[in-house]
Amino acid sequence: MNAMQSETSVVVVEDDPASADVLQRRLQANGMSVSVGRTGGDGLALIRELHPDLVLLDVGLPDTDGYDVCLQVKSDSATADIPVIFLSARGDVFDKVRGLSCGASDYLTKPFHPAELLARVDAVLSQSRRVRGPRLSKPAEAARVGRPTVIVALADASRRERAELILGPKFEIIPIGAEGRAVDLLIVDSDANVASQMGSEGPTVLRVAPAGAPASPDTVVLNDELARIADLAVREHQLGRDVDAAADALIALAMAFESHDRSTAGHSERVAGRAVAIAKALGLDSQTQQTIRVGALLRDIGNTKLPLGLVRSRGELTPVERTQIEQHPALGQELLAAFRPLARLLPIVRSHHEHLDGSGYPDGLKAPQIPLEVRIVAVADRYEALRIARADRPAMSADAAVQILQQSVQRGELDAAVVAALAAGVRAHDRGEATGS
Amino acid sequence: MTSDMQTDRLAQPESVPRHEDRFIASEELARLVMRTAGSHLQLAQDDRPYQWSTTAYCDTYDWAIYRAAEAGQALRLRFREYHRTRPDEAFTSARLWLELKEDTIDMSRKERFEISGDAVPAFLRGETTLSDGRSGLGKKAAELVQAGARPVVVTQYNRLAYAAPGDRIRITADHNLIYLAVPWTTNADDSVPIRIGPILARETDVVIEMKWVGELPNWAEELHGYLRERAPADRPSKFVVAMRHLLGEAKKS
Repeated sequence: MNAMQSETSVVVVEDDPASADVLQRRLQANGMSVSVGRTGGDGLALIRELHPDLVLLDVGLPDTDGYDVCLQVKSDSATADIPVIFLSARGDVFDKVRGLSCGASDYLTKPFHPAELLARVDAVLSQSRRVRGPRLSKPAEAARVGRPTVIVALADASRRERAELILGPKFEIIPIGAEGRAVDLLIVDSDANVASQMGSEGPTVLRVAPAGAPASPDTVVLNDELARIADLAVREHQLGRDVDAAADALIALAMAFESHDRSTAGHSERVAGRAVAIAKALGLDSQTQQTIRVGALLRDIGNTKLPLGLVRSRGELTPVERTQIEQHPALGQELLAAFRPLARLLPIVRSHHEHLDGSGYPDGLKAPQIPLEVRIVAVADRYEALRIARADRPAMSADAAVQILQQSVQRGELDAAVVAALAAGVRAHDRGEATGS
Repeated sequence: MTSDMQTDRLAQPESVPRHEDRFIASEELARLVMRTAGSHLQLAQDDRPYQWSTTAYCDTYDWAIYRAAEAGQALRLRFREYHRTRPDEAFTSARLWLELKEDTIDMSRKERFEISGDAVPAFLRGETTLSDGRSGLGKKAAELVQAGARPVVVTQYNRLAYAAPGDRIRITADHNLIYLAVPWTTNADDSVPIRIGPILARETDVVIEMKWVGELPNWAEELHGYLRERAPADRPSKFVVAMRHLLGEAKKS
């Protein structure tokens, strides 16, 4: 067993208490930690909370069926890698094929012999080859001195030793599980599951190709070149952090401007948070999420070049004032254009008031000219604006705000999939509140 | 500008006027119906049991196809592909089907063209001409493409299908039906494959469809009556249900 996998954790979703108890005892006797959900909803909550190594799933459940639970596990990027074994009294070939086509790794018909269950559990666990990355604490705040640090998390001991030998002259090797150390580089196997644990603040991750396999766009080969490639990757990552730090300074300025007005204080942060949530729901990668976050925070920075009284005006605008206000995206773009590393943000800053049907401003762009990142920020901005009380209307409920946006979709202004992602997030939040989770 | 190469890659269409009824049934009722169908019909060759069908439906920016479908008459433009396990992307296949399906009040007809996933953007840019067959649907599809039709919703399901030779009767049961949105932004070549989602809704029951040409045989007539008594028969199409969810009009369902 890999050193990082201390104990195999299993979630059993089974409504029959006697069956669940037998399963729990049997698995615990074989060194596994077991959590039991009695309904599909309970099971899903446990799976999302514990991220177990394996799920044993009954087909017949009181609130839904096991197929639906399996589909939800497999359609959520955070849980899709967890293997599922169905346990069911339904033994028709179509039931088995249906279960397996939902993404399950195996299908076991009740009644089953305990030895067969354990054999299949072991087989699925070994086939899943899920090597978890170490759970890293956030990088230490202390200033860096000396060599960059690396954790080598390769499953095979001899490959791990070789990598440490190659990297040793340039990097400080940190043992797996060391607490409180800032980590610059993480070396993992090509199939390791580390993406969900690494935020933008995390270390550089290098994936090593299997023995004998050539390098690919996503992997490097374990040879003497590894130290040079690793060094370059860490430097590039650091450069990215420096650009982020510069962006942070601009964001601080924009926030300071916004915070002078009580009615809008914190609005940009809510827009950014909402936009990132939508981006995640659409499956966009972490780099794109970061672009969207920073773009959302800086989207109205052009307001700093407009008269203060105009920006803070809450009354009805005259046509001249409206024309002036509608200059803020272009002014924002002008302001940021001088800072070339932030070029990727410019479409968001310039076009977040454009509509797919061409009725927006400042350029009257139409759908094919408006990138997805811009559409996401536009929807998040409109939603959060509706949630704030204005002089001419009270703050809207989440449901009412979503309905207003859906009407904009029907008119052809906003992107339907983006609003659907927002609505799904709002619904999930409401369900969470309703169940107290 | 049309592309001869693209045109050459499209198979000749088949156009058949058909009747179609759709029911929403419990798992138990669906099992009973499919057992009956299985004793009279053969398992359909092109629908491997429980493979995943992924269908991307197109609409224009003013939702003209959906509005027409709600009124009971529309030409639907959709891309269908098949996978052994559920994909989270669309247009991944080297071989998928571009389907044109026209519904009128009491009849529907369909044409199917073979196309590769990476040829979809060129088709949506209007660079591919469909051979028009007997129905004239290809010309109507070109008008929709000209109006900006692009993929907007996706359905995924496991289909079990029984059919008579020549598809004179076809009875299908769709399990695990999921409706998803698709964030299509551009017809550039690199827009495919595209990740699908978010999930708009799931169907917990089974959608049974009976499609036939001409008269139904006695056993099928009885089965049709049995279904009409026990399952809601005014079920809208998957496209309409998906679009209602997408546009926030699901309370109509």
